[in-house]
Amino acid sequence: MHDVSQDFFGGVFSDKIEGGRAAAKISINSYGLVAETLEEERFEIPFGECQLDKGGASGRMIFCRNSDRSITLFCEERGFPKALETLSTGALSGQLRAIQLKQRGHEKTFLFWLTVGSVMTLIAGVIGYYALIAATQAAVAALPISIDENIGSVAIKSVDLHARLDAGHVATKLVNDIVKELEPHSAIKGLNFRVMVVDEPTVNAFALPGGQIVVYTGLIKKAKSAEQLAGVIAHEMAHATLRHGLKGVGQSLGIIAAIQLVTGDVGGLLALSTQLAQESILTSYSRKSETEADLEGARMLHEAGIDPKNMADFFQMLEKLEGDIPDLLAWISTHPQHADRIARIEDYQKQIPQKPYRLLELPWEEVQNQLAN
Amino acid sequence: MEVTIRNAPSFANLLVNLDPGDRIVAEADAMASMSSGVEMTTRWNGGVFRAIARRLFGGESIFVNEFKATQPGHIVITQPFPGDMACIELKGNTMFLQPGAYIASEPQVTLGLGWAGIRSFISGEGLFRMKVSGYGRVWFGAYGAIFTREVVGEYIVDTGHLVAYEPTIGIRVGMAGGIFSSFFGGEGLITRVNGQGKIYMQSRSFEGLAAWTNAHL
Ligand SMILES: [Zn+2]
Repeated sequence: MHDVSQDFFGGVFSDKIEGGRAAAKISINSYGLVAETLEEERFEIPFGECQLDKGGASGRMIFCRNSDRSITLFCEERGFPKALETLSTGALSGQLRAIQLKQRGHEKTFLFWLTVGSVMTLIAGVIGYYALIAATQAAVAALPISIDENIGSVAIKSVDLHARLDAGHVATKLVNDIVKELEPHSAIKGLNFRVMVVDEPTVNAFALPGGQIVVYTGLIKKAKSAEQLAGVIAHEMAHATLRHGLKGVGQSLGIIAAIQLVTGDVGGLLALSTQLAQESILTSYSRKSETEADLEGARMLHEAGIDPKNMADFFQMLEKLEGDIPDLLAWISTHPQHADRIARIEDYQKQIPQKPYRLLELPWEEVQNQLAN
Repeated sequence: MEVTIRNAPSFANLLVNLDPGDRIVAEADAMASMSSGVEMTTRWNGGVFRAIARRLFGGESIFVNEFKATQPGHIVITQPFPGDMACIELKGNTMFLQPGAYIASEPQVTLGLGWAGIRSFISGEGLFRMKVSGYGRVWFGAYGAIFTREVVGEYIVDTGHLVAYEPTIGIRVGMAGGIFSSFFGGEGLITRVNGQGKIYMQSRSFEGLAAWTNAHL
């Protein structure tokens, strides 16, 4: 039992060493600790004088100081505390337990603050996210409308227009006339609305940023009246006047894109909007944007003297059709939640003062006959 | 091999004079100029995975360059930011360097990657730290001036200012003031170092530079 000693790798701090510290071999014998440096300097601390502490960069390092603190031995080898406990035959047990507890206390405090910090970071993140969205909306509102035009003119290139009807076609004229009825009541002035009617059975219509409106003959055929068609067109015009495309882009890219837009660096954004248009991001909007477009469209209809109920009727009719021709109902796929939307349009109508609505004097029958041929 | 730190403290760089057979290891990209008689070989900075991890989390290059003189010559080694450099000589002991601080070392020095822990990460000192051990001189750099302190007990350093420390030094994150002033007052978090040993600090912090640059854009 007597000459038992164990060696560890560690170091020593002492003013007697050049530079104040050195790596050392630390031996624990039955009397205490001995450190021996490479220069063969010896430092001894008997167990009775030894003041233990724990810490260091790893948190595992054991320090042992003598009573006047002129010598500090340190070691972070794994077996060191156990060897101290055994070889000191219990003389250091109390101290070893105390430094262990102190360490655990630090861990607990740290975990507590880590949790507090994480929660606060999370809260800040959520607030930041909504602030970013609000800032994007504000930034978009500050942008000149010419940017919508730019994006729209790039995006239209990715739309297949080969079956486009010419400007003189009755169907194009009809949609144009509807747009002219609604245009004076749009939320922002200065948008240059242009109508393109594409002769395809797809039941779809969309507006691009800047005011280009694409309507498929499939949708015109499904509408029961010029007023119902006006309902859809009002909704699509509202997307353009409320600048939902740009807001969508802003939200996809964050505020940086919006700032780039303000500062006029549009090149990258134009390239990107082509891609976004292909992925139909520019024409499929968030639910919030859809609700906004419904209400704004209903307002435009109301102002123009057309019953907003036509919009709701059209949605209802499309919903009934959904089971029959799902592949062609492109508009429905980008505009779900019909029941909610119809209810909201009806709610809106209850809030606004009643007024006599008119019927549009447009050659509806003629258009239907032409398209049927 | 004779190494001089020149143009300190603002634009410190190392002039390494090599005799035939002398070797020095340096951070990739650190070489600014060298004589034609010096051969350069590139190797992984201590193993493939460690090198990649160090690149990802420690801010250090994946590669280090080893320079060997075949005839008398010299190399000039620089760091990418303006500031001072310091030299430590290892005699079997270990030193931790903050990400990006390592510049060069003698060949008998082992370069390792040490997990610095969440505490270090939170206080802005990085998730990993460079561990230099073995025998020989190590040169490291700082942003701004370098100053040192022999810590006994506890000492407080602003986050981002700690450059190097001995393994006998523990790091804790602390708040500069109360919870409110720490989060909203701008001082934020501080680094509490404790234990016994030497710490090297830099007079400027990259965070400070980033804040200043952002404010002037
Ligand atoms: Zn819509």
